[in-house]
Amino acid sequence: MPTKPTAPQVEDAALFREFEHTGDLGIELDAPTRGELFRRAAIALAALLVESASVAEIEQRQVAVEAETDPDLMHDMLTELLALFAVDGFIWRDASVTEAGRSLHVTLRGESFDPARHAFRGEIKAVTYHQLTVENSPGGWRSRVIFDV
Amino acid sequence: MELIKLADYLWEIPKTGAMRVPGRVYASAKMIEGMREDPCLTQVANVACLPGIVGYSLAMPDIHWGYGFPIGGVAAVDAREGVISPGGVGYDINCGVRLARTNLHFNVVEPRINQVADALFAKIPAGVGSWGAIPGLSIEQLKEVAAEGAKWALRNGYATERDLEHTEEGGMLAGADPDRVSERAYKRGSKQLGTLGSGNHFLEVSRVDEIYDSKLADALGLELGQVTVLIHSGSRGLGHQTCDDYLKVIGAAMARYGINLPDRQLAAVPISSPEGQAYLGAMAAAANFAWCNRQVMMHLAQQAFMQALSITPRELGFELVYDVCHNIAKFEEHSVDGHKRLVCVHRKGATRAFGPGHPALPEALRPLGQPVLVPGDMGRYSFVLVGLETAMRETFGSSCHGAGRLMSRVRAKREAGSRDLRAELKALGVTVRAHSRAGVAEEMPHAYKDVAEVVEVMEAARITRRVARLKPFAVVKG
Repeated sequence: MPTKPTAPQVEDAALFREFEHTGDLGIELDAPTRGELFRRAAIALAALLVESASVAEIEQRQVAVEAETDPDLMHDMLTELLALFAVDGFIWRDASVTEAGRSLHVTLRGESFDPARHAFRGEIKAVTYHQLTVENSPGGWRSRVIFDV
Repeated sequence: MELIKLADYLWEIPKTGAMRVPGRVYASAKMIEGMREDPCLTQVANVACLPGIVGYSLAMPDIHWGYGFPIGGVAAVDAREGVISPGGVGYDINCGVRLARTNLHFNVVEPRINQVADALFAKIPAGVGSWGAIPGLSIEQLKEVAAEGAKWALRNGYATERDLEHTEEGGMLAGADPDRVSERAYKRGSKQLGTLGSGNHFLEVSRVDEIYDSKLADALGLELGQVTVLIHSGSRGLGHQTCDDYLKVIGAAMARYGINLPDRQLAAVPISSPEGQAYLGAMAAAANFAWCNRQVMMHLAQQAFMQALSITPRELGFELVYDVCHNIAKFEEHSVDGHKRLVCVHRKGATRAFGPGHPALPEALRPLGQPVLVPGDMGRYSFVLVGLETAMRETFGSSCHGAGRLMSRVRAKREAGSRDLRAELKALGVTVRAHSRAGVAEEMPHAYKDVAEVVEVMEAARITRRVARLKPFAVVKG
């Protein structure tokens, strides 16, 4: 049975931390629930691409992903979202996530990317599998992701 | 990590655990100390676990932490029994560097550098949210680019025959199979032919400020004070997506071939397998897109110079010195344990550096050895080297590819703080045009090792010889 979409719970600034990686860009995320972890990762990716404050929530886009493991689900979701930006030119400010077994349904709220209005922060080439983790512990959920930039 | 010192510039990681060969690291004692704090040496050991690897898992002195392979890693695997690893090539397939020379002297260009930098910035798109230099390319046209590489640029008026002669592989890697590239990869690349990208990619206007070997410099057409242009970019979204697509395919297929590796990003399958062959066809297609991309950008840079300085092509004298790739897997014949052997050389952040006389070099360059272009950081200098015979014996004809990062991007941004880096670089005589302030901060000069130390190690090891040093005075960043 699908869960309810995860509602926004924290400010963007608290959504993720960048960690030290010599060549590339690593982020670490914490969340109280699995769905919220994926939601924060979706918003973090957009915030790494474009200054979030410059993005308006005008349109919605839906993305669905399915994978055997949570790290694969994280990789595949972020890769689909990266393609949404790179191919379709869509950038988002907020997201909600519905979990259904090994699937995720992500709803993104944003608009078409416009380099004249949106402050671009830098290209992300890909979501790597290197040291990719999604873990559950008594304290909550945590993920580490390294992007090739 | 145990390291055995073999010489002042060469260290060995002994074979332990699942390693099939030892690791060898070219570095000074000072560099080695820095590497001990970084996971890159563990990554050298991990690469040594690849089935079919021969000789050593090699690391160049600009090595740093990558994903799977270290950046600056070289691994040769037996062409029949070995594996192909997309992670050993990287997401930016055929990321590389090209150097063009001009007839212009620094004293002529420097007073008008703002106009030149503006023209370059306007002509060469970063490639994000905007159309590429060649808009409206259909998938069929992109497939032609993937099949032909720089030859497509020649057919369409963006190149000369001479440009192709001075490009590694003639700007077209054999074996490309455009049908092995996904539709999504083509869509990501469709607006990006002739675009620079961001991250560490750049276009740099430099002057030749030091000549180390005047005979070699003469032969390459380089002289003191001469203005040159260095372009660093790759296969853009088309290559990134291709790597991503095949990591998934190959990651899923590994178990069928009984391959287990210490890092998922090293995913590999036998070269002879259907998955391996499909990846090699797609990789060559993406590599060809990259050569065409750098060729088109060179053409745009030529136009920008002519427009900014109101000069003719003859007055400008824009000519390609050479174009090298530093993220690739190639089939080459090398001597292993005294026997000639066909191997697949993975170079991940490493440059081919064939010695004098090698048949793969164009006739004009064959007596010199292959030019090796090593960019530094945007505040200091870059180097032109040539490959030496020792490279053929010790490094599968490979050398370094850059300065190598010293600081993480997070630390670079923290240290940049509220500093006005563009003003600081201007004070050093470097005019910067960039789309993103964060991009400049992450790439600030002190985020990198001193590239002079890197090329000194390669020269001490007799892998490459210095020919000339280039000092930037304008940098365009995506």
